[in-house]
Amino acid sequence: MLVLEKVTVRLGGIPILREVNIEIAKASTVALIGANGAGKTTTLRTIMGLTKMTGRIGFDGGDLTVVAPSRRPILGIGYAAEDRRLFSGFTVEENIKMPGQVARFSSDELQRRLARVYGILPELREMAGRPAGAVSGGQGKMVALGRALMIGSKLIMLDEPFQGLAPALARRYADALRKLRETDRNITLIITESNPELLKNFAERTLVIDRGVLRATRQAALA
Amino acid sequence: MNLQLFALAIFDGISYAALVFLVAVGLTLIFGVLRVLNVAHGSFYAMGAYATASVGGAIFAAGWAPWLAFPLMLVAAAAIGVMVGGPVEKLLLSRIYQMEDVLQILVTFAVFMILEDVQRLIWGVRPLFEATALNQLGTVSVFGITYTVYQLIFLPLVAIVVLIALRLGLRRTLTGRLITAVTEDREAAVTIGIDVERVYLITFIVGATLAAFGGALASATTSVVPGMGADMIVLSFAVVATAGMGQIEGAAITALLIGLGRSFAVYLWPELQVLVPYLIMFAVLLVRPQGLFGAAEARKI
Repeated sequence: MLVLEKVTVRLGGIPILREVNIEIAKASTVALIGANGAGKTTTLRTIMGLTKMTGRIGFDGGDLTVVAPSRRPILGIGYAAEDRRLFSGFTVEENIKMPGQVARFSSDELQRRLARVYGILPELREMAGRPAGAVSGGQGKMVALGRALMIGSKLIMLDEPFQGLAPALARRYADALRKLRETDRNITLIITESNPELLKNFAERTLVIDRGVLRATRQAALA
Repeated sequence: MNLQLFALAIFDGISYAALVFLVAVGLTLIFGVLRVLNVAHGSFYAMGAYATASVGGAIFAAGWAPWLAFPLMLVAAAAIGVMVGGPVEKLLLSRIYQMEDVLQILVTFAVFMILEDVQRLIWGVRPLFEATALNQLGTVSVFGITYTVYQLIFLPLVAIVVLIALRLGLRRTLTGRLITAVTEDREAAVTIGIDVERVYLITFIVGATLAAFGGALASATTSVVPGMGADMIVLSFAVVATAGMGQIEGAAITALLIGLGRSFAVYLWPELQVLVPYLIMFAVLLVRPQGLFGAAEARKI
């Protein structure tokens, strides 16, 4: 469902991704593991269209490379950046709803998706009215996940979601991901992480990236 | 200074501040969202004034109803905003957002020079005067001073309505929310599907229309002459810099401060009239480099 073919990205002449080839099957959970600076974030950003790249990216049978970055989310791709990137002037719920409003969902569809987000992340309902600028870093990660779920009906990409989460919140976050898996078998998940142990039991497949090159892939039984 | 002169200075200051605010708020909106200091903004002001005065002169000479002067201002401002502002953003600015600030200023300065000549080509250099709107509203006596209703009540009222409409529009409409989101984080906006280029175009057209609307309103109170755009852009830069870049309410308060400062100088120390707005800016920026209302870190409008 997602194919990267010879994807190369340079920043200021320095190659960040070097001819990366990845094929990810529909409905799979994939961990993208690598040290800081290995190219995990750049891989996700490239799929979102935020970098200048050469090569090709296929998604859901079409060519994603020719789709403008702002037209990619509506294809069903949700993305949560590592640093959350919430809109601080809006409430938590406004942040979650915004991708749906941008996509001009009907109000029924918007409510249906919002209910789905709250079903998976019930704690977001409690902080729905709070300004997004006033939630803690860990809660902000939950909100960013909720916002990605609003639009990401086919593919969800989470960049280092567990980074900086207190243990209790990290467990909650992992529970939410499991619940997402249970409620929606067809969704594809890509999660980056620098600690290879953390996603071992969760991801069916692990991709290891090192200095812009895809090194190894492992299959693991789903826990 | 007796009470009458004092009141006169205040009235002058308020009505002038209303016009300056309309131009400055457009400038600060464009800067807040696009991060481009638009020197050509003064041209939109001048062209709004020229379009209103010339079309008004023609239609009222042909016997059209005088009350049409008011809707004409809105139509002229929107036409300049869309037909001049739109292409400037789409054809020129959209290509230089990634480039250095200095280059952006030079490009908008070049647009300003070109548009100044375009004005001379279309409207010539002879002053135009079209005061139908001013005369329509009559005069009012306050503290024994007779003042036009247009300047004392109508202009400040329009400025307040624009301020409230802008704030509500940014907060309550979807387009306004998208503008706010793009202002805070352009990249995050893209990742939730916002077409940033379209938001930039809309913002620029709204900002240009506000400047043209300021010019349209000003055309009823003064002769429309070459160079009026240059005067206004310099003054509205002073307002925007004093208030803090991207500050909408701040631009309103600062426009009032600078408008009053200027009008009191006219009565008390006329030689300093031109200098006072910049003295205020200078004094404020010495103490608060981010402006009176500017926050040093967050990007907001």
